[in-house]
Amino acid sequence: MKNAKIGALVAGAVIVLAACSSGGSTAAPTTAASTGTGASAAPAGSTAASKGELKLGVTLPLSGGAAADGQPTLKGAQLAVDQINTAGGIDGYTIKLVPLDHAVNGKYNEQQGAQDMQTFVSDPAVIGVVGPYNSAVAKVQIPISNAAGLLQCSPANTNESLTKPEFGALDYRKTNPTKINYIRVAATDDIQGPAMATYAYNTLGLKNMLVVDDVTTFGKGVADNFQKKFEALGGTVIRVGAGADTTDFNSIITDAKTKNPDGVYYGGVVTSGGGLLLKQLRQQGLTIPFTGPDGIVNGAGDAKGSLIQIAGAQAADNSYGTVAAIGDFPGKADFEKAFADHFASDADFKVAGAYSGPAYACATVILDSLKATLDANPTADQAAIREGVRAYASDPSHTFKTVLGDESFDKNGDTTQPFISFYKVDPTAKGGVGDWVFKEQQNFSANAPAAASPSP
Amino acid sequence: MTTSTLRREQPAFVETFQRLRLGPYLFVLGVAIIDFLVIGPAQFVNGLTIGAIYALVAIGYTMVYGIIELINFAHGDVFMVGAFTSMYVLTNVLGQDGPIKDPPVLAAVLFVDFAITMILLGILGTVIERFAYRPLRHAPRLAPLITAIGVSFILQNTIQILFGPSPVNTPQLISPTARVNVFGLDVGVVNIFTIVVSVSLMIALQLFVSRTRIGRAMRSTAMDREAAQLMGVDINRTIAITFFIGSALAGAAGVVQGLYFGNIQFTLGFQAGLKAFTAAVLGGIGNITGAALGGFIIGFVEVTAGAKGVFVWGQAAVFVVLILTLLFRPAGLLGQQIGERA
Repeated sequence: MKNAKIGALVAGAVIVLAACSSGGSTAAPTTAASTGTGASAAPAGSTAASKGELKLGVTLPLSGGAAADGQPTLKGAQLAVDQINTAGGIDGYTIKLVPLDHAVNGKYNEQQGAQDMQTFVSDPAVIGVVGPYNSAVAKVQIPISNAAGLLQCSPANTNESLTKPEFGALDYRKTNPTKINYIRVAATDDIQGPAMATYAYNTLGLKNMLVVDDVTTFGKGVADNFQKKFEALGGTVIRVGAGADTTDFNSIITDAKTKNPDGVYYGGVVTSGGGLLLKQLRQQGLTIPFTGPDGIVNGAGDAKGSLIQIAGAQAADNSYGTVAAIGDFPGKADFEKAFADHFASDADFKVAGAYSGPAYACATVILDSLKATLDANPTADQAAIREGVRAYASDPSHTFKTVLGDESFDKNGDTTQPFISFYKVDPTAKGGVGDWVFKEQQNFSANAPAAASPSP
Repeated sequence: MTTSTLRREQPAFVETFQRLRLGPYLFVLGVAIIDFLVIGPAQFVNGLTIGAIYALVAIGYTMVYGIIELINFAHGDVFMVGAFTSMYVLTNVLGQDGPIKDPPVLAAVLFVDFAITMILLGILGTVIERFAYRPLRHAPRLAPLITAIGVSFILQNTIQILFGPSPVNTPQLISPTARVNVFGLDVGVVNIFTIVVSVSLMIALQLFVSRTRIGRAMRSTAMDREAAQLMGVDINRTIAITFFIGSALAGAAGVVQGLYFGNIQFTLGFQAGLKAFTAAVLGGIGNITGAALGGFIIGFVEVTAGAKGVFVWGQAAVFVVLILTLLFRPAGLLGQQIGERA
């Protein structure tokens, strides 16, 4: 028995070494990213008496209409953790992924999100959390995780006020304003909204748009940013708010028709009514371009609760969406293949979504930070590990090799590589059910100040 | 002398007017005309359509309250179950997945769908009454109210387990893009269908309640249950029939909702129930015509808010209208007609 165990360990170490050497020499970014720290892990493998288990939390909406958002994102993080564990864990620790679902009745729920964060905070084995998905949830979670000094890495939050003090971020990290515990790999809405405004005005040639928002933190925020930029470019906007449980948009559409809009921007998510708005627009005979932020880019026409599924593939034609993440990263094909292979048996979500890569990257950042912490202090107790991970990940001088490319975070926890990707619905994709296809991407890091502040 | 003749003439006119109880109707008509001029005919059709759905649901609320004074909080979810039943009947029993071009086939499929859904929902309503409310008929009022909330959760969770928590598409038998020209106005066929079906059902119900024996039994039970019983009215049967009719109408509303929006979710009932309950109170709870008027008023208020670019205030506006109405008519628009209740 003992011999078999040692044999397995040696085999594991060999595999890790092999993976590292191939990752170092050739372009195999997915494996390289997950085991980027493996080079030093291999020697540790020989002394790796199991020290037990550390937990990586995941806080996402995972059921109902929100599952189309949450599930592929969760699986991105799960893939990273499974790969690390297969490769022998980190310095003797195995990593356990703990996903908590804060969707209530199929929509994200802030109260449940806060409760889940309390659960993570009070479990000392949790070294970091991937998530949340929705900015409104982040607003209630950050104060809790900040007080406890627990690192959160969001793959998808885009509301600018979560991190940037000039938009009120200090209200959320009140307890420890200088100890950054919330980082994100997604670009912010003061970039995402204006990016679509520029795209709509210049590329799509739209001049007079109907802008509908769902009156939430995320939806209204991104729509405001969109409107400012669109008007600054010379366009005109018809602005309407429609609460997150709206089902009947017909009065809005009938009214807008008299003002001849040539495009629509929906600031919100599909569970707020984005799908129904698109459906009713087409029913009233408006085939103008339908645009929106990452909230509407939630999977193919065969995913339950996706925009394309609700509106129908034909109606979803001529729809454009932004995703606040890099869409075409160098190792994308490898990552998507690894994802598809790993979750081939999953019935509903076996294809990587727009935020699967970012979630994988978040997990990599947290696990690399864990590795660095344990390397520096192998005997650290759980509290020290948690603080070590937070301090390492939020240090602007550290760069992480992730599947998305080199990732680092500024003094507020925002990514220094804010990418916006543009997607368009192809109604014939995936055998006629329709899917989002990648069009192009822009990096806003070089001209971040110009792009970030819509008003001069 | 002249003043006295004036006095004599005026009471005669006012008395006739009051006897016909036309005041509230004229008021609603006047408001509707003003609204029509403000928001224009296209929006008016939107208001009529959504109002018709609210009205159908509101009638069930008001009938149940009228007869056993129970605010049936499960009623919104009965409506939701109706939408899902219709979706199931259309897709799994009748094998439909989109618009039907051929009018006779369309009429046949719609008729079968309405018939099956309304009968099933009627049965559901009577079952709910039999097992959830009848045992508590003589219990303190709070008990059946809580039971109603419980039934609401049971219905929601059952549908969530059966059909999943995601929004579900339903076949839109009448092509949602089909439009006809009515008096120079471009109107969706499905809008006309919704309005015509709802109003027909309301008229049929009104005739049923006012002209048939069962209708008379229902009215007498609502007026005084003990006295009706003494006169030989079968109370249990009458109440069961009331639940059957109210729930069948909610089922019809569910069918219409599916046809109009093409997408339903298990949480649909809460919002609809709240609005329909408001409509019932607005119209004078217990009064069928009042509930119908209330439903249309809420539809108009919401659509007017949307038409004026302040959609987000629609919900608040509904309650402002409710409060204003109750300030001047505490029993609701047509509430005084059952004012003699003890």
